[in-house]
Amino acid sequence: MTGNPAGPGSGRGVAPRDVDLDRVWLGVAGEVWLRRPRRLERMAALLLRSPGLARALVATPSLLLAWVIATALVLTVGAAATLGTGTPYVALFAPAVAGAGIAYAYGPGIDPAWELGQSMAVGDRMVLLVRALAVFGLNAAFGLAASVASGVAAALAFGWLVPMTAVCMLALATSTLAHSANVGAAAGMASWVITVLAGKAATGSLTSVITDSAFILPYLAVALCCGALALYATRIPRGTS
Amino acid sequence: MNVELTDLTRRFGPTQAVAGVSLQSGPGVFGLLGPNGAGKTSLLRMMATVLPPTSGRMRLLGRDPGDYGPRREIRRRLGYLPQNLGYYPGFTVADFVDYFALLKDMPPGRVPRAVAVAIERVGLADKARTKLRTLSGGMLRRVGIAQAIVNDPDLLLLDEPTAGLDPEQRMAFRALLREMGQRATVVVSTHLVEDVGAACTEVALMDRGKIVFRGTPDQLSARGEGSGAAGDAPLERGYSAVLMTARTAAARS
Repeated sequence: MTGNPAGPGSGRGVAPRDVDLDRVWLGVAGEVWLRRPRRLERMAALLLRSPGLARALVATPSLLLAWVIATALVLTVGAAATLGTGTPYVALFAPAVAGAGIAYAYGPGIDPAWELGQSMAVGDRMVLLVRALAVFGLNAAFGLAASVASGVAAALAFGWLVPMTAVCMLALATSTLAHSANVGAAAGMASWVITVLAGKAATGSLTSVITDSAFILPYLAVALCCGALALYATRIPRGTS
Repeated sequence: MNVELTDLTRRFGPTQAVAGVSLQSGPGVFGLLGPNGAGKTSLLRMMATVLPPTSGRMRLLGRDPGDYGPRREIRRRLGYLPQNLGYYPGFTVADFVDYFALLKDMPPGRVPRAVAVAIERVGLADKARTKLRTLSGGMLRRVGIAQAIVNDPDLLLLDEPTAGLDPEQRMAFRALLREMGQRATVVVSTHLVEDVGAACTEVALMDRGKIVFRGTPDQLSARGEGSGAAGDAPLERGYSAVLMTARTAAARS
């Protein structure tokens, strides 16, 4: 706390009475301390029509550089393995990686200032939705790039985007309902592994869950149900008065 | 009245954290005292619109926080310091305060100056460009206070604000509270009775989810006179006497 009873900025020199040094100092300090938003944040602020939401977006834990590099690394390894073996590992990895990213986008224990964020005018549901969309978009772009690089992807690209959506929504709904990113990530990844293994047991092919069009409707149904659950879990409670 | 609570309750499964609290408060510094587990933090979190009440009626700044629009307006005019302040280690002090100013929907043009004022008021001007990861616990608490006051709130809710502050900082903080209380409603949850004596115009004592005393700090001190209750200072003795009476009455009923 400022220990100067005369107020902030006082004692910074003698000045004529009509010069308010406090006001001048605070104006200067505000400009000097100001963090200049990067281009991406400025664009997001324009797009979202909220500088607060844009700042919340760039603070997404699973959009931090280390996480983005890790995601790119996993998908690069997947692309290399695909090239080496012919099995489309990228398509099999991408849903699980994206599901984990979504689960770690926002929530208690993940976002350090989560409780404080809940008391803000920019709603936490909006923060969650914007972050989830951004993480999904980035993972989808990475996945598509890795698929293209692996050579077998063109035909499979949309085959894995749909299950990826379902896994992401499952991870989002679980982490929101359980208030735990770890539980959400585990649920997303476990469900995908079980689906892949079940598909292999049923058809003999590891990739049937991304190549068989019969799975698309169930994936979409899961995605819709989980999306509805996530919306319900983040609803604004009413009737407090 | 900035705060109007009527029969407010909050349950966590079988545990009743807040049990029928009614409270009205206008501008001034309102101290919320009580032992650990008394329900102070739950009550403060409900007032911060972070936690919905299980039942009861709540109006903040003349609005019902149960509806989206009024809730957003309340949050624009609210300052909140949670008990456990989470922070982004890579943010500087100015970044952190700036971030929450934006999340409070402050007009972007007003933010830089408001951030500077808040940081000055908590005495962290020389640390404005310092990363949060390098700050001490007391400094982090002051950063938390800076983000709470950055929007010059009409309702300021502070949960254990003096934890980790040294005596000099605490005195300065009490002066800040008194200044804020001239215009706004400041609710301070604490277990340090000396903070209440020095800064609060009114005090409520909570025990087991209920308010068992409400009055001025002097009235609380008076409760301890001749009671034989434990304590090193009049307020502490008043605190002990009220708690003792409340618990005896609860045991009888």
